[in-house]
Amino acid sequence: MKKSRLALAVVAAGSLIASLAACSSGGSGTSQAEHATNCTNKLMVKSAPTVTVWAWYPNMANVVDNFNAAHKDVQICWRNAGQGVAEYDKFQTTVSANKGAPDVVMLESDHLTTFEIQKALVDIAPLGGNKIKSQFSAGAIKDVSSGNAIYAAPVDGGPMALIYRTDVFKKYGIKTPPTTWAEYAADAKKVHDAGGPAFGDLGSNVPAPLVALQIQKGAVPFVYDFAKDPKKITIKVNDQASKDVLDYWAKLSQAGQIGKQDQFTTDYVSGVVNGKYATYLSAAWAPGYLTGAGVGKGADKGKFAVAPLPQWDASNPVQVNWGGSAFAVTSQATDKKLAAEVALGMYADSKSLTEGWQKQIIFPLNKSVLSSSEFVNAKVDFFNGQTANKDIYIPAANAYQGTPYSPFETYYYAQLTAQIAAINSGKISGPAAADALQQNLVSYAKKQGFTVSD
Amino acid sequence: MTEVLSASRAVARPGARRRTPGQRKEVRRQALIGWLFITPFALVFLLFLVAPLAYAFYLSLFTKGLATGTEFAWFSNYLQAFTDPAFLGGVGFVLRFVLVLIPIQMLVSLAAALVLDAITNRFARFARLMIFLPYAVPAVIGALMWGFLYSPSFGPLQQLFDVFGAQAPFLLSPDNVFSGLVNVVTWQWAGYYMIIIYAALQGIDSSVYEAARIDGANAWQLAFRVKVPLVANSLVLILVFALIGTLQFFTEPAILRPIANGSISASFTPNIYAYTVAFSYAQFNYASAISFALGFIVFICVFVFLFATRKRGSIFA
Amino acid sequence: MTAISTTTARVRAGGKRRPRRPRNVVAHLFLGALIVYFLIPLWWLIVASSKDTTGLFSGSGALWFDGGIHYLSNLEQMFTYQGGIYLRWIGNSLLYAIAGGVGATVVAVLAGYGFAKFVFPGRDFMFSVLLGSVMVPLTALVIPTFILFSDLKLTDTIWSVILPSLLSPFGVYLMRVYIADAVPNELLDAARVDGAGEFRTFVSVALPLLRPIVVTVLLLSVVASWNNYFLPLAMLSDSNLFPVTVGIGVWEGLATANNGGGHAIWSIIILGSLVSIVPLIIAFLSLQKYWQGGLSVGSLK
Repeated sequence: MKKSRLALAVVAAGSLIASLAACSSGGSGTSQAEHATNCTNKLMVKSAPTVTVWAWYPNMANVVDNFNAAHKDVQICWRNAGQGVAEYDKFQTTVSANKGAPDVVMLESDHLTTFEIQKALVDIAPLGGNKIKSQFSAGAIKDVSSGNAIYAAPVDGGPMALIYRTDVFKKYGIKTPPTTWAEYAADAKKVHDAGGPAFGDLGSNVPAPLVALQIQKGAVPFVYDFAKDPKKITIKVNDQASKDVLDYWAKLSQAGQIGKQDQFTTDYVSGVVNGKYATYLSAAWAPGYLTGAGVGKGADKGKFAVAPLPQWDASNPVQVNWGGSAFAVTSQATDKKLAAEVALGMYADSKSLTEGWQKQIIFPLNKSVLSSSEFVNAKVDFFNGQTANKDIYIPAANAYQGTPYSPFETYYYAQLTAQIAAINSGKISGPAAADALQQNLVSYAKKQGFTVSD
Repeated sequence: MTEVLSASRAVARPGARRRTPGQRKEVRRQALIGWLFITPFALVFLLFLVAPLAYAFYLSLFTKGLATGTEFAWFSNYLQAFTDPAFLGGVGFVLRFVLVLIPIQMLVSLAAALVLDAITNRFARFARLMIFLPYAVPAVIGALMWGFLYSPSFGPLQQLFDVFGAQAPFLLSPDNVFSGLVNVVTWQWAGYYMIIIYAALQGIDSSVYEAARIDGANAWQLAFRVKVPLVANSLVLILVFALIGTLQFFTEPAILRPIANGSISASFTPNIYAYTVAFSYAQFNYASAISFALGFIVFICVFVFLFATRKRGSIFA
Repeated sequence: MTAISTTTARVRAGGKRRPRRPRNVVAHLFLGALIVYFLIPLWWLIVASSKDTTGLFSGSGALWFDGGIHYLSNLEQMFTYQGGIYLRWIGNSLLYAIAGGVGATVVAVLAGYGFAKFVFPGRDFMFSVLLGSVMVPLTALVIPTFILFSDLKLTDTIWSVILPSLLSPFGVYLMRVYIADAVPNELLDAARVDGAGEFRTFVSVALPLLRPIVVTVLLLSVVASWNNYFLPLAMLSDSNLFPVTVGIGVWEGLATANNGGGHAIWSIIILGSLVSIVPLIIAFLSLQKYWQGGLSVGSLK
């Protein structure tokens, strides 16, 4: 009869609503941080409160265990939510939804401002941040600070240097690695004309090192002080220095003297293994990454060495940085003090740091490591026993002054990626790309409500 | 669309224009029952189609800058979308893609369906299943597979060219990415369209074939002048679906982006752009406007297409 | 080539037979070429799943085995990696696909029956709206549904994936078209005259006649749910809730980023892809006769 049908409809609708209600229950307050049942690691003290962490360091499992073993008052519940942009997108989603963010998140310094402006990060200066300032260089602290506020605890950095193939250099008669960019270009031409492999690579998916190289020549892409005036920004990505650097790389790419392959792909790694790239301009964490990818284990063992980054002016060297990350406390953290304790204490103990640098996973920024003779005099396996830290990376890290970041770094990188791709296709010249980028960024910033000056 | 007249006949006695109170009550009861049957769907429809769309439209009328709060902005997001080179570039791409992909897909599906309709042995049955199989593969995994197959270091294409000592074209390079993607999508969907055409062909009464054969038609004429016009309805249907789906192109280019060396940008297709704007730049207002703008373009294209094929058999005569 | 002279007689309504067709070499070659084209990636998947990571990148033939068959060790690694999360993902995919698929089918068959067999004010209008909504792409709905769900605090739950999957306007369309033809009103009237309630009538009279279309819509909905990528990607951040499509995508991201120097996982990604498509293929193969019949009616109208 009519009744049975009606009854069914009511039951169906009711169960739908009930299930909706059941699943939205449990929301305490206005946000819901990630629940602590989602751990990759095992908790050692089950009764202690947990702090959830997202991080992608290769040895993070050990880092977490080291912390959990040494702390009874708090335990870390960690998982790998992706690396780099993948994790940033996920984190951005949780920030937008105001739900699901971890208590502590691993962020590279270039993305801190993006989340500061969305009020997604907590100032940990009063929660112990001020106490650690003395353990890091001025540049390292600048990268995680905004005025007097500290938004993340530094862990590692990425001082840049020139990794190269000794066998390729020998084969094509390059006696010493280039010390200036003029020499680099000349060497690239030499190898190319002799039918050799690509001298380097301009990957469109790695805009960050290119920005670093622009800064090396004196570019100041952004002037932005979140603490002083979050609405004001100066954008200058097409000054002469920026144009010159883009022009330099565009010429190398369009002449076919360097590769165009995206980095961090299996194709690129196999190229590195097979000597398809004579040099790799990268940061101090590169050997760890490459070793993990299987480089330097087969026929290419012992064929890599590292030299200081080439300079525009040899008498006035400038050191730059690519990557390096820090732990930030999110505004969705349930217990901010406890989360700060974790952020500052994780990967700060000597056991974790030693494992990190010995396996070349990280270049630690903690001064206690940087000044330890063990670290300074370490003979790096990947570079055939070269004392890379002493000779190259530590001086580079010490001279690093920090980098100016924008509050829309993701957008900036995406636009720069598109420009690099266009350069690699021969569709645009370096200076024209810089101008296009400037126009794009200024118009974007204005639409976002910033007062833009250039 | 067929009119369903039989239902109304069950309610009102034929010929009776005036209804008795009993009949009216019956009509109302029938109407109520009808409503009840469609209630679950109506609920789902309202909750998961109308509500999100309405909310998205509402959002698209506001702007939210990183440095400012949310402000009501009328249709400025739409104005921005339709003058945004990233959006327009994406639209240009999907339109070009549609113009190339759909004929190719249809050709492959139609040819396969016609052949399978003509040959009815076990080999054909096996072929039918194999052609349809890619439909069961999620697009994300299909794209992953093709990513490997296209790899210049590890893919079979390169290995084939290695035999001749040549360098295989990289099918995801800026020049080739168009064809590379056409291939991936054809592989994924041709079987699905083929099955629909095949099913329609199977529904043709074979007396039509007898008549044609008596008139002296050979196999080709049978195929193109008899079969194809008779399945024109199905063809239009799947063309519309293909059109809608292709204009919304997202999954395959999104998955292949990391290995495409920058050929696939963050605004490669309008849907990828909307996703980037929403989840990477956290601008949901603008992303909603982009989605609606895309929807509007889809609507126009479908309307134009249906208008052009309104006399169903005309383009297939 | 073997003589293909016996044509199987296909029995359709009315039992008409097709006349014999002569051998057609070109047609068979064409079919053969198509089979090769459509099977190559799947063949590659099967072959590549047998290799370990060294074998995958050693440059040996991509389309043939390389002398080491590692299915078992790859399977073991895949099922134990990250604490056996792959099985969890498969379980999630099953849950979403079945709950979403069954739910969508139930909703569609009820609605199709209502549209086809009853007259009520607004019926034609609603049906036109429904047809129009088929044009709305699910991808366009993901972002606003995400925003809506995040306001309701429903993101990152299984409902955020299952509930939107209940929407299948195309399913309703197929149902209506099929039911209008396949369920004679006389049968329904007879049941009503016998005193059966409307729902009883629906279940005992109409439903048995609808098996082909129900199976078709069920299969289409299950496939759509299983293959869904964009929706769960946006809605979920808890990796325990991922369906296998999103999970494999995450592993691929990890592998490309070199798994942070951990052991390479490409071999389990490939094997994971293979294993994830097996259930659907089995479903298709076993339910062949149903869905092929169902699709035909829908497309004729």
